Amino acid sequence: MTAILSDAGTAPHVGDLWKTRHDKTRFQWSSLALLTPAFGLLAVLFLIPMGYAVYLGLTNLTLVGPTAIKWGFTGTQNLVRMKSDTEFWTSLWTTGFFIAGSIVGVVVIGYGLASLLMRARPWMRIIVGGIVVIAWMMPAVTAGMTWYASTTGGGTFGTLTGLHNTNFLDNAPLLIVTLANIWSMTGFCMLVMGAALRNIPSEAIEAAVVENASPWQRFRLIVLPLMRPTIIAVVLLVALLSLANFSLIYIMTQGGPGTATNILPLYSYEQAFTFNNLAYGALIGNVMVIIASIFGVLYVRIAARS
Amino acid sequence: MTTHVDTTPGNPPELNAAADGAPVLPPENRPTQSTALRSLTTNTVLGGIGLLFIAPMLWLLLASIDSHASWGIEWPHFSLINFKHVLTGSLLHSLFNSVILAVISTAIASIAGVFAAYSFSRRKIPFKGPLLLFILFSSGVPLTIMVIPVYEIFARFGFLSLFPTAVFLSVTSLPFEVYLMKNFIDAVPIDFEEAARMEQASTLQILRRVIVPLAMPGIAAAAIFGFVNAWGSFIVPLILISSNTQQPAPIALYTFLTLPKVEFGNIAAYSLVFCIPVFVLYAASARLFREGFVLGGGVKG
Repeated sequence: MTAILSDAGTAPHVGDLWKTRHDKTRFQWSSLALLTPAFGLLAVLFLIPMGYAVYLGLTNLTLVGPTAIKWGFTGTQNLVRMKSDTEFWTSLWTTGFFIAGSIVGVVVIGYGLASLLMRARPWMRIIVGGIVVIAWMMPAVTAGMTWYASTTGGGTFGTLTGLHNTNFLDNAPLLIVTLANIWSMTGFCMLVMGAALRNIPSEAIEAAVVENASPWQRFRLIVLPLMRPTIIAVVLLVALLSLANFSLIYIMTQGGPGTATNILPLYSYEQAFTFNNLAYGALIGNVMVIIASIFGVLYVRIAARS
Repeated sequence: MTTHVDTTPGNPPELNAAADGAPVLPPENRPTQSTALRSLTTNTVLGGIGLLFIAPMLWLLLASIDSHASWGIEWPHFSLINFKHVLTGSLLHSLFNSVILAVISTAIASIAGVFAAYSFSRRKIPFKGPLLLFILFSSGVPLTIMVIPVYEIFARFGFLSLFPTAVFLSVTSLPFEVYLMKNFIDAVPIDFEEAARMEQASTLQILRRVIVPLAMPGIAAAAIFGFVNAWGSFIVPLILISSNTQQPAPIALYTFLTLPKVEFGNIAAYSLVFCIPVFVLYAASARLFREGFVLGGGVKG
């Protein structure tokens, strides 16, 4: 906490009177001018829309038709609708699976890669590390496009497994989009985990080796406790990024077939812009804001501590 | 790519030793044979994972240079005709729109960001702690989920076009940029600034002549983040840009799938062209981070 919150650079230097006096500045009005652009933008395009969405969710606003022009507050009507909307609850579960699957896949593969790469031959490190990082850098639309091509009938997956005309994407849509998401986030996890692993003092590992600790004991008793904050931060970031990963799934399946991959951002978009229920779409968006805020607050607690 | 180099420096020595097949201490516990076997296993497993990761990219690479491309992977009928096709007409125009969108968004976020980062780093401001926590919070939470209320606001003011969309995209990368730039500005020694202050330099002059040049790696990295963020954004332009002629490249890419005749080769070629700036910029920012700061000799004691 203190590392972030302390006034870095303005700490008075002992014995330097001029500096001490000058640095003990009172609040300067020009600071306000410096902060205004950033906080003005955040207020107008983040805080106000967030508050406005709370109100919109409780109205009967539509995209077209009479209630697009003349709309108003309808109280808890949308909430009642949401309570009995099975598609919403399905979407919530789908989102949960998508996020949980992505977290497990990204963290396990990302950590595994990071630790294997440390022991690998240099050329292996360059090639494999490079491929995984390229997959991470690829914009979500491109990743979605190439995964769609690879998993649809007659695509790469069919050719490589010998099941030529199997449409993997239609047969196991949620699994495939989750794999695509894991594929596109592992590189980030690998880099972060790799940096954290290199920060583990080698003396600790050496001491454990001398004490005849098994690899599993070394992992559980030394590596894991030291990696804990990093792992938690990665888990939360993957959760947040997956929650909002509209592009990847929209390109691959548009939420289908049926509602198989209809995670919350897609359902919100569908309600607002396909079925024209802007208000209901906004309400679903609010549910996402609540979920994201929970992850976000946990993330701040972890990030601010380190 | 250069990013992979991140995994190279600073390896603990005993792990490097294992990679070379040399025994790790204590030697009696680790016969060379088993180390060699382990090294073989490690490299085989890694190779397998590498193949799994490259498999989905194969189509992109092969179909882009194949004049008879399909969804399948096959030996290409080599030709660059796909690239020629996608770099003309409305597809090229969409790439141009993406450049405008990303440049405007990056400029706004970086300028607003550097002001805020500077005052967080150097000034005494009320509620600094809570404000910084708010910045950190919004750097983690994807602000694109605000797109429906923003749509309603923009629709009311007739803002459903390129420039306002760029402004909204700048807000989605702003918190992280502020956070990143603040950390870099924190590392700039205060002495430079005080020397400039003695010479009666104004705050704006100090920012422009002292802070920005010295914290350039951080500012550039933040700007690259903002650019890539706006460049790759799909849902925001999809909802917020109503005019067909203002659509950026991700929307054009999606439109390929809605056409009656699917142009496989063109999709692959356009996807690759769309990726290139991102790869180049990430590589550049990895280099920036590796170079770090060379400020040590700047202040005479």
